[in-house]
This record gives sequence, C-alpha cells and structure tokens, in this order.
Amino acid sequence: MLPEPRFAFAVWRRNAKVFSKLWKGALLPTFLDPLFYLIALGFGLGTYIASLDGVPYRDFLAPGLIASAALWAASFETTYNVYMRMNEDRLYDAVLATPVEVQDLAAGDIIWGATRAMVYGSVFAIVVAAFGLISSPWAILIPPFVFIGGLCFAVIGYAFTSLVGRIDFYSYYFTLGVTPMFLFSGIFFPFTDLPDWVEVVAWFSPLYHLVEITRGLATGPEALQIALHACWLVVVSLILFPIPVRALRRRLLA
Amino acid sequence: MSQASASPEAVRAVDLRKSYGDRVAVDGIDFTVPTGSCFGFLGPNGAGKTTTMRMIYGLSSPGGGELEVLGGNIVTERRQVKARIGVVAQETNLDGELTLSEGLAQQASYFGIDRSDAKAKAQELLEFALLADRADEKPRQLSGGMKRRLLIARSLVADPDLIVLDEPTTGLDPQARLAVWDSLERLKQRGVTLVITTHYMDEAERLCDRLVIMDEGRIVADGRPSELIAETVGAEVLELRPLPECDEEGLIDSLSDGSITGIERGPATILIFSGDAEAVLSRHDHDRFPLESALARRATLEDVFLKLTGRSLRE
Ligand SMILES: Nc1ncnc2c1ncn2[C@@H]1O[C@H](COP(=O)(O)OP(=O)(O)O)[C@@H](O)[C@H]1O
Ligand SMILES: [Mg+2]
Repeated sequence: MLPEPRFAFAVWRRNAKVFSKLWKGALLPTFLDPLFYLIALGFGLGTYIASLDGVPYRDFLAPGLIASAALWAASFETTYNVYMRMNEDRLYDAVLATPVEVQDLAAGDIIWGATRAMVYGSVFAIVVAAFGLISSPWAILIPPFVFIGGLCFAVIGYAFTSLVGRIDFYSYYFTLGVTPMFLFSGIFFPFTDLPDWVEVVAWFSPLYHLVEITRGLATGPEALQIALHACWLVVVSLILFPIPVRALRRRLLA
Repeated sequence: MSQASASPEAVRAVDLRKSYGDRVAVDGIDFTVPTGSCFGFLGPNGAGKTTTMRMIYGLSSPGGGELEVLGGNIVTERRQVKARIGVVAQETNLDGELTLSEGLAQQASYFGIDRSDAKAKAQELLEFALLADRADEKPRQLSGGMKRRLLIARSLVADPDLIVLDEPTTGLDPQARLAVWDSLERLKQRGVTLVITTHYMDEAERLCDRLVIMDEGRIVADGRPSELIAETVGAEVLELRPLPECDEEGLIDSLSDGSITGIERGPATILIFSGDAEAVLSRHDHDRFPLESALARRATLEDVFLKLTGRSLRE
C-alpha cells in the first residue's frame, strides 16, 4: 500500500518540530566531523599530494565530504533516533493507533532523514564554498541532490532499524556498513588508476553516486552523468522502501 | 459513517482468537458492546485483556473469528475505523519531546485535522484534562495521574465514537484514580462508548454498565455488575478467619443450609456466599468452632471471580 501524503507529512512535521528545538546542539557534531577531515586531509595531507588530474587534492576531497555529511546524518537519524521513537518512547504504538499507517510512518520518517541529510550537507557545502573550494555556479543545485542521496541512505538505515530490534547491534551497521562506504566511495581517492573491478564494486554504493553528483556540481556539471546517478539513487530508494514497511507491519501490528 | 454510527453495536466479536506462537492469548471470545455504554473487561494479569483491546483498535490483527468495530472491519477498513476510535494504551506513550499543547496539536494532525483547528482543539483538551496551566511543559514534568488524564484527553482529539482504555488507573494513587474516574464519567455523560479494562473490581462496578470477566484468554462470565454478583455468588458474603485449632470441615458443615450458594476456602479465610450473611453468622457456635474474625459484607466482583476460577483477581 502506498503512503498517503498528508499522514506522512504529519509524521515528518513532528520530527521537524522537534529538530527545530534542538538543531543548535544537534547540528554541530555531524558538521564538525567532515570539517576535521577537510582540514586534516585536505589542507594537511593534501599539501603533500600532487594534484589529481590538475585539480588540487582539497578541491577533489571537499565535494565528497558534502555527500558524506549527508550519509552520516541520515544514518544516525534512521538508526538511533528512529530506534528511540519506536522502542523506548513507544511513539510508534501511539501513532499507529491513529489513522496513520505503517507506510505513512515509514515515508514520513525516511523523508525526514533525507531532509536532515540535506540540512547537514548544505551547511557543509557553505563551509566548503567559504574555503573557496567550489568553482561552479551549478553547486547551487547541491541541496536537492543531497536530499535525493539522503533518501537512499535513510531507506537503508530505516530498513536496518526495522529488521534489527536490538540497539547493541547498531554499531555493526556503522562499522561494517557506513564506515566502509565512507572510505571506499571515491571521496578520498579517485578510481582512475585502480583496477576496473574497484569501480564496479563502488557502483553498488549509494554514496559513490552522490559523491559523483556533488563533485560534478562543484566543478562544472556533466548533466547526463548527474541525471543517471540521481536515477540510481531514486530507483534504489523506491525498490527498498517496501522492506521496512513489511518488517514493521510484522513487528508492530503482530 | 452514517450507516455505521446508527449501528446499535459499537463492537461485536464472535469467536475472536489470538495466539503468539504456542501461547494462546485470546481463546475464542464472544461479546457485544452496546453503543453508548461503558463496557468493562475485568481480569487478572495475563488474562488477554490487552490483546483484545489491541485487536479492537487495530494494533494487532485477529488470529481467528470475527471482529466488527463501529460497523466496520478493522482489518480491511483500518483508516476509516481508526479515525473514529480514541485509544489510551496500557503503557504511557506520550511524545516526550513536545510540550503538552504541541503534543495534542500533533495528535490532531495524525487525524488529518488542519493546524489552526488543531491548536484550538489542544486548548480545549488541556482544559478537559485540568492541565491548561501546564500547556508549555513537557510530559515528564507531570505526575502519573496527570499523564493519565492527558492520555485520556489526547484520545478525544478527533471526537471519537468509541474510546478504548487499557487499565486507565493502574498504578495511580486513590486521589488520582478518582480524578480519572471523574473524566470517564464526564465522557459517559456525553454518550461516548467506552471500553475499559481493569483488574480493580471497584472500578468495574462503579464505571461499567456491562462487563465480561476474562481469565486465561476466555470469558468466564458476563452481564451487569450487580446481576453478575447476584447470580453467581448471591448478594452477601461471610468472611471467616478460623483460629488454628478450629475444625474447618465441621465449621462449614455446621453453617451449611439451603440458603448458601457457595463456599470458597483460601489459605487463611473461608468465604461463604449467601443472600443473607448475618443469618448464616447467627447460626455459628463460637465455643465449638473458634474464629479469629468474622465479617459479613456485600459480595463484590472479586468474589465472582474467585467463585468462577478458584483464584483471586490479584495474585
Ligand atoms: N506480543 C506478545 N508476544 C507474545 N506473547 C504475548 C504478547 N502479548 C501478550 N502475550 C501473552 O498473551 C497473554 C495475554 O496477555 P495480555 O493480553 O497482555 O493480558 P492482560 O492485558 O490481561 O494482562 C499473556 O500470556 C502474555 O504473555
Ligand atoms: Mg494488559
């Protein structure tokens, strides 16, 4: 069954309302993280690295970190935060006793995860721009594309949370899922001189597609490439969406 | 909606069942909740009350049998039926991140009520809950009784035709219980159908027009509280505590006659059910059968439960 927009929006708005109260405290860590990477690797290590295809290393690195900010934000939101709402605060039980259905709840929470990813990615994009690391006016399109990438990260995190009921296992999601994705999706090094299979493997990483998009927009776009990467993210999000819906139905409406 | 609200039955269950794995939680129950009544489910922990409530308000799918809620099918017409039910779950599930007024307005938006109406509704409900002066506080700042009143108010947000309350006063002190009862009585006067579970017999006697007594997933008795008591145990009970040297068999024999409707023996007390407990007591021979105490009192639903199951409601 498809989500009904007004009910999904009611769920989304609840999250937005709560975030609007504590954004100052919540924004900082997830935002400082990529900043430290940018300084340490871009300005530190990057000084010793010859330019990549004529691009200074920090210019190569920075747009990818915008994408990673979205990954971390969406992943925390849809794992730990959703877990708290679902299990500790029993909010899901309360919401499902209203006309809101599981698919509305899932859609509202996932779109909220993507929204949060967009906020974090955009704030970091502004920092990157302030460092003078953005050379194309197309970068103005980064936020909506980060939202699309955020949707994909959020669906995956949400599926994990709906399938795994024990918070003790959530660190595996980060250690075995998010961190490797962060390191091997083309943020830190290009795939050009590596064996072809590396790029084939990376193609399965949603972050890889968003990195290609943000880097493309920051440096001057190849519109077709960007559209294809965005399609990948949308299609995968839609394909995966039924997984958490089914899992939650089984779990919450047993 | 018009067709459904004209229905004389708010809830109708036939052979309703639910199991979790091998454990049978609800074992084929039949009941009918008349529209506009307060209907009670009385039973000890584990009797299957919560499972039954969750099936009624759509959080659990029936494992078998028929269940009609407000004239609709809670499985195939979930949204329409849920839109007309207010729920107070057994466990407190208030949104801790929102203030009371924000939380109530948010609840309204889950029912598709638009924002300006939601704000007005929140204000009205805070007044109903006697919490208007707490509008900007968070739920954690409230006492247990206030939280329960807030939950009841929250269940009213979409003017439901049916309100399901699962143990609305468990864990509350006597004063807070009275305040909750008062809220429920105000709702009864408005003509809302109430379905409530409890393991307090005094609560069931006071609030419920009709009730069923559940035990181990089955309904063991149903009817009006006063009729149930009269039919099952008679109007009065004589509660005897024999001294250790007393011959209990002899004591019971000495008191028995045609007016006695039942006898229950607990570890320390003997309950003798009859129409007139004083009359039974007057036959007692204190010298032959010494007692620590003897109490003649009105029979309660507790006695009904004891007589039907051989166990106390609260272990
Ligand atoms: N989600 C569940 N999974 C497994 N067993 C359950 C579940 N919910 C209830 N039960 C079992 O079903 C029985 C009835 O429980 P419940 O309906 O909560 O009773 P009550 O509300 O009368 O105390 C109990 O034995 C309980 O352990
Ligand atoms: Mg219960």
